[in-house]
Amino acid sequence: MISEASGRVDACQYLSPAVPIPCFHGRTLVDESASMELSPRLRDDLLNLDAWSEILTTYGRTMRVAVALTDPEGHVLGKCHNAQPAWRLIHDAGHGWGTGCPFCIATSPPCTAVAEAMQTGGTVMVRDQAGLTHVAVPLLLGKRRLGAIIAGQVFDRYPEPLPLRRVAKEYGVSAQQLWDVARKQRPVSRAILQASGDLLCALGHAFLQQRYGAILEANLAEANRRFRFLVEGTRDCALFTVDSTGHVTSWNVGAERMLGYGEAEIVGHNFSCIFTPDDIENRVPEKQLSKALQTGRAEDDGWRVTGNQKQFWANVNITALLEDAGPVRGFAIIVRDVTERRKIAIILDEARWDRTRLQEKFLSHVSHELRTPLTAIYFFTTNVLDGLLGDLTPGQREHLTFALDNVKQLKDMVSDLLDITRVETHKLNVEPQHTSPVKLIAEALSTCRTNAAAKNISLRSDVRPDLPFVWADPARVRQILINLIDNGIKFTPEGGTITVESRPIVEGEGFLCLSVSDTGCGISPANREAIFDRLAQVKSRAEASRSGLGLGLFIARELVSRHAGRIWVESQLGRGSTFCFTLPVFSLAKLCAHVFTASNLAKGFVILIAVDVVPIEGVVQADILPEIRRVLERCIHAGQDVLLPSMSDADPVETFFIVACTDPSGFTVIASRIGRELQNFDSASRLKPVVSSTTLLVPPGQSTKEQTGGVTAGIERLVRAHLLGKERLK
Amino acid sequence: MSEKKILIIDDDQHLLLGLATRLQANGYAVVSATDAISAIAVARTEAPDLVILDLGLPAGDGFLVFERMRGLTDLMATPVIVLSARDPAKNKKRALDAGAVAFFQKPPNNREFLTAIRQALGETTALSTFLKT
Repeated sequence: MISEASGRVDACQYLSPAVPIPCFHGRTLVDESASMELSPRLRDDLLNLDAWSEILTTYGRTMRVAVALTDPEGHVLGKCHNAQPAWRLIHDAGHGWGTGCPFCIATSPPCTAVAEAMQTGGTVMVRDQAGLTHVAVPLLLGKRRLGAIIAGQVFDRYPEPLPLRRVAKEYGVSAQQLWDVARKQRPVSRAILQASGDLLCALGHAFLQQRYGAILEANLAEANRRFRFLVEGTRDCALFTVDSTGHVTSWNVGAERMLGYGEAEIVGHNFSCIFTPDDIENRVPEKQLSKALQTGRAEDDGWRVTGNQKQFWANVNITALLEDAGPVRGFAIIVRDVTERRKIAIILDEARWDRTRLQEKFLSHVSHELRTPLTAIYFFTTNVLDGLLGDLTPGQREHLTFALDNVKQLKDMVSDLLDITRVETHKLNVEPQHTSPVKLIAEALSTCRTNAAAKNISLRSDVRPDLPFVWADPARVRQILINLIDNGIKFTPEGGTITVESRPIVEGEGFLCLSVSDTGCGISPANREAIFDRLAQVKSRAEASRSGLGLGLFIARELVSRHAGRIWVESQLGRGSTFCFTLPVFSLAKLCAHVFTASNLAKGFVILIAVDVVPIEGVVQADILPEIRRVLERCIHAGQDVLLPSMSDADPVETFFIVACTDPSGFTVIASRIGRELQNFDSASRLKPVVSSTTLLVPPGQSTKEQTGGVTAGIERLVRAHLLGKERLK
Repeated sequence: MSEKKILIIDDDQHLLLGLATRLQANGYAVVSATDAISAIAVARTEAPDLVILDLGLPAGDGFLVFERMRGLTDLMATPVIVLSARDPAKNKKRALDAGAVAFFQKPPNNREFLTAIRQALGETTALSTFLKT
């Protein structure tokens, strides 16, 4: 045995020489395979024995060495080509492949040539105990280890009798026979062995690469075939491509069927022929392509025309075919005929609308029919309760009071029902005006007082008296508050408290936030959205009370959103809930924005005109006030003057204010026009209009905003002073 | 001063009875009619000081009664309060435009309803209404 590298192994191993053996990693192979997982099937394909057999046989014969393919663990795949006589003699004697290196005539320790070649990626040369030498070269695909090729079974110098004799003894063959065979085997020098190992490495990789390319090509062809089959076989969809100018480059069977043009007849023509004449005139085809170019894709639903001039409703998807950062190659277009779907959608829509209308009609009818008997019950109950039919015992009085409460509840439910139908048919209207939230809160609390007292619940109001006015429908805000307070009463145990508060404004300066807190059972986080849904009554809460249809919060939410506000609930289970909602704050500046322009303000003054409509006798019926308002609106110059909303919640609502940017002569014109128009309106002369004016100097300011601020503050002051003066007069 | 007479036009007998009781207790004489045709006849013979009118009536709409009343010299100036189950959003303006002095949806609040009646009959002045509220 020759021991050149001392110690570690019996079978000496020549590691690669100092000059590293070039490793033939095909460039494309590295790049592609690095990003690709090798499937077992691909591996088997790459190491296909029949394919390798030819190249290995040729190599073995040419180089006069034995050669074999192995897996990464060094097990021979298939057979050993061109096995050499000395090795074959020992092998045929029953040595078998064994566990170690199949080319080594040595039992222990095993040769690690293959493993080492796999690890270093280069050629490894080994000489065994008999003096036979072989090389192992790795087969790598990128970084993946596919296996190795072993070549050799040759002496690198003239054989020596002594090791051969030892080996012959060990393997039980005739020493003489082995010597004879070995002597006839021509030695190959180490340099040539090294060179042929490198050649083998190059050959192996070239072959592997070629094989890999062939497999990819086959796969690609298969995928291509499938894709063509798919595209051409799609009959319900028109699939076609156009070039960057919109000329058709391919056309599938589906397109032929749907659009009525054959492939031969349309390829090369502009795809605009499938658009309606109007669309073509409006350059819709070009616009769609340019949109697809900008955003990558464009989708559109619209009418398209077939070759037979039949129109259909199409869903069209255009995808730009772009190469990385390159110019557009064209567009892929998918057209689907969705005429039927559209028809069904329209029918469904109509049916839904019909159903809603029918529902509204039904509910409106029901509510109407319920109101008449309810009225009779109300009259009888109140008549008896008020003693119109004789005195009552305390017991009778108590029971009738309960009956009356129930009548009121029923009445509210009937109103709720109607509101619901209005929500559904979008008829729930709010008529916003200049409204004091303080007054509405007081009114709502007084309405709910009876209900609260019945459960010994105290109602508190903790609002600043100087809350800003809101731009809201007073009746609706009252309804929101009552709904929230009633809801609180329902779910608060006896002895609890309900508090109405105002909160610091949350959403900029434009909104006021009001809240209604109770000390009730609270709402779990999961239900905090659901309680605002229609007919929502959370199970555990439902036990608290049977009253109500569960519509209160739903209606409150709808009403708040009609005011452009927001409603939400904050709650702690067992501690209580706080319902908050926001309302837009009334802003004189916003209302007058189009009057207080820089050029108007430059005139230097603003005139506030007060119109007091005084009745000759009695009071002005509230119902004719809107009429008067309409008359006054006719008297002012729209866009130049503003008729302010009712600025007071106190009784003298029959005062109207007009803000105008004009000089005193302009005032005279307006005043005389108002006098004339009101006289025409009130031909019976039951009203006496008193028109007065105050001129407000515009403060010099750096900006229009500052000036507007000064003017609006001035107007508010004047309005308050005027109303106060009138009240004093009364 | 003799008691004022109110004509209630409504097809619901129980409502008539209930409302009449309330009105009589407040010192008014009450007559009634239950359909649009007899309503005019009763109005002409009884010459009420005030009419309380329902809108949904047999043999004609409440608005029809209105029109006919306005066409007759003896009923032209009689104040009318509409008391209907119909939606005020749709009917209030129409009723007021037709000349009603007030519109109430059923069931009305007794106090407000009586105030409106008193006002319509000219029994209360602006000042007293103002002071009450």
